[in-house]
This record gives sequence, structure tokens and C-alpha cells, in this order.
Amino acid sequence: MPGFLQPTTLEEAFALLDGKGETRFLAGGTDLLVLLRLGAISCDNVMDVKRIPELSTLRLTDETLEIGAAWTCNQILAAPEVGSEYAPLRQASAALANSLLRNRATLVGNICNASPGGDMLPACLVLEGSVVAASSRGERTIALKDFFTGVKKNVLKPDEIVLRTVFPRTQGRGTYLKKKRIHGHDLAQVSVAGFYADDGHLRLALGAVAITPLLLDFGVIPAAELPARRTEIIEAVAAAAKPITDVRASREYRLAMGRLFTERIIDGLIDGSLGLAEDRPCTTPAREAVTA
Amino acid sequence: MNTRPIHLTVNNQGYEVLVPEDATLLELLREEIGLTGTKEGCGAGECGACTVILNGKPVNSCLVMALECEGASVRTIEGENADGELSDLQKAFIEHNAFQCGFCTPGMIMSARALLDTNPDPTHDEIKEAMEGNLCRCTGYEAIIAAIEAVGGIQK
Repeated sequence: MPGFLQPTTLEEAFALLDGKGETRFLAGGTDLLVLLRLGAISCDNVMDVKRIPELSTLRLTDETLEIGAAWTCNQILAAPEVGSEYAPLRQASAALANSLLRNRATLVGNICNASPGGDMLPACLVLEGSVVAASSRGERTIALKDFFTGVKKNVLKPDEIVLRTVFPRTQGRGTYLKKKRIHGHDLAQVSVAGFYADDGHLRLALGAVAITPLLLDFGVIPAAELPARRTEIIEAVAAAAKPITDVRASREYRLAMGRLFTERIIDGLIDGSLGLAEDRPCTTPAREAVTA
Repeated sequence: MNTRPIHLTVNNQGYEVLVPEDATLLELLREEIGLTGTKEGCGAGECGACTVILNGKPVNSCLVMALECEGASVRTIEGENADGELSDLQKAFIEHNAFQCGFCTPGMIMSARALLDTNPDPTHDEIKEAMEGNLCRCTGYEAIIAAIEAVGGIQK
């Protein structure tokens, strides 16, 4: 098993990373500790980053919402700063695993883990999220649409520590829909996040239908034009999805459910049923029949 | 493996323990402190048998490194009858036949305790959500939820 590092400042963390072999970062540990125990990954050191003050802040400014890397899903759900305008983020936080794991699992950990089925990823993409990563060379901001490079792969360098996730302030209507096999215990079989900003900008993002989460940016579509463009939007999403068959679902099921969720989001935007204040995950019953 | 000292409070009692760097909180509780009421089930955060309350929040102790817990306050199933008498939840689990083999029960009770600490009168759905991470393979869940509802004072 690896050594255990626990810096209390960023400077100390950078020094500990210098020449000490491969280091994995521990935030919630809900993926890392399982993989280490299974022997699926190995490293020289595990670095607990939760005592670094920069990672523990949550800030709502006039321009942005910033969520520190140590913030757990349940903390995000309890934070008044994360309002209903960030409904996809709140709903994805509530849909991730179960309450025990949400007390540990962090937003940034879920992002950095970069699983194609990670709950937070589509939600963050439609809200135009980015991460701020730091190393001894300085800080850089990486838009999440440019962050994911493959299954559990991202653009971070080995010595970069993600400090926080940043979202622009926004107003609009959005949701996160997730299909899973078992309530409380599963990654998404397929998931779709949608956000329709008050200025008419429409973004949809899908999880578990490709090697990375997919973002589809439709630009500005005035509300009056949504009904006429409904089919075009749905077909664009269906064409982008390239799922595989695996232990969680078949390719065909993922395609059908991805289409169904997309239809629900667009229809909810058209008929007004997709509102601002949806705070709960809109999970559908596990045994729902496919009616595509 | 290197060992390091750690200071923490378990069930309102202070401890200073030397732990291996790679030990989990579960291993610290069971192997170093000797509190074996907390069980290891899956060891992967799936079953909830190892649930303890860490700084007021229920967590899977198999997924917490012991050295993360410096200065922490931990509550385990042994804290439920610290005064020598079964707690309200323990009595309710017995009255409602809410366990058979009992392996999941310490984790069940700690999740329920954490819920009741913050929400003394939870709804049926709130109980179900709070208990999502705790699996039982013999009793089923209705008796468990009924026991928690009884303590929560819900009148059916």
C-alpha cells in the first residue's frame, strides 16, 4: 500500500509531489480506496488534500459560483449558494450513489475520476463548468468541455491539484435525468442533463453513451422556435450517442433511454413543466417499459 | 508499513492510537481500539455494514483512511448503550423484528441515528433515502423502516 501524505498548504503539497513518485489525490476516496484495495490501480503515495484551505471554500460572486475540491455532494445540496438555477447540479448531486457515499464523494473527485457514467459530469457540462488546477508552475483554468479525453482519462498533469470547480452565474431552466439498475447503488446506465438559459441558449449533455460525457451546444434557440426544432434536436442527440453494451445496459437500451430523456427535457421546456425549482432527481421507475 | 499516532474521540472517549498508514477507520476501530461491533461487509462502500457517524455524518468506515480522522469525533454502535441500557433504536429494532442474522444491524442503526439526530421526525421517504446505503439480505426493509418510524414518533 502507498504512503500517506497530508499537506496543510498548497506549497507543502507541491513540495511533497516533487520527485516522490506517483501520487494519487484523496478527496472523498469513494473511488480511489476501492480501486487501491482491488489492486486495479497502484501508486507510491496517497495525498489527502482536504486540509488545504483553498480547497474548502464555496463562494458565490456576481460572476461565478466556485465550489472547492473538498466539497461533498451532500454539502453542495445543503449549500444555499447553490440555488435552483443550478438545478442540474443539485439533481446530479442527489442522484449520485446513496446518502452515505454522498457524505464523502466530492464534485471534483467525480469530475477528475472521469468515468463516462459519472453523475456530475453532464450536469457540469450544461452549466458551462470549468476547473482550476494548480501546480508549482501556477494555476490554469480548464473548461470541462475540453477536460475529458477518454474512459477515466483527463487532461490534468500528474502534479496538478484541482482547487475548485467554477460555474458562471446563470438563470434558466434545467434538469438531470438518470437511468440506473438499482436505486442508491449504481452508476448511470444512461443520463441526460439539459439547461435552457433565459437568453435561449440550449445545452444538452449525455453520460454513459461514449468514452467521455458528450456536450451538445445548440446555441440560442428562441422559445417560440423550440416546437419546430424539437425533432432536429432529438435527432442530433441520438446521432451523437455512441454507446456500447456492457454489464449495466445494452447499446440499444442506452440509445432508447437517451432519446426518451431528451424528448422529456425538450417537451418539458416546450410545455413549461420543466421548471426552475426542481430540487430532486427526476429518476424514473427502474422497471419502466421502453416505448420508443 | 509505517505507523503514525492519531488522536480521536470514539463514543465520547478520547484515544491516542498508533495506526499503520494504510489503515482504514474501520480497521482502526476494530483492530486497534477493539470495538468490533462495526462490521466489514463488502469493503467497497456498497453494503453499509461498516457505517459509523464521523463528525456528525454517517459514512462507510471502510472508505475512510484512519489518518484522515485526526481530531475527529466518531460514534459507533457501542455508543448506543453506553450507559448499559439499550437505546431507543435498539429496543425498536427488537420490538419490530428488524433483524435476523444481525450483521447489517450496527450499520443500520448508525445510519438511523444520524438521521434522527438531524431530523427527529422523518417521513417514510426520508427514512428510505437515509437508509439507501445500508443493505440487508435476510429481514427486508419494511421492519427496519417501521422500527425507525416508531422512534421518530410517526403515528401510522
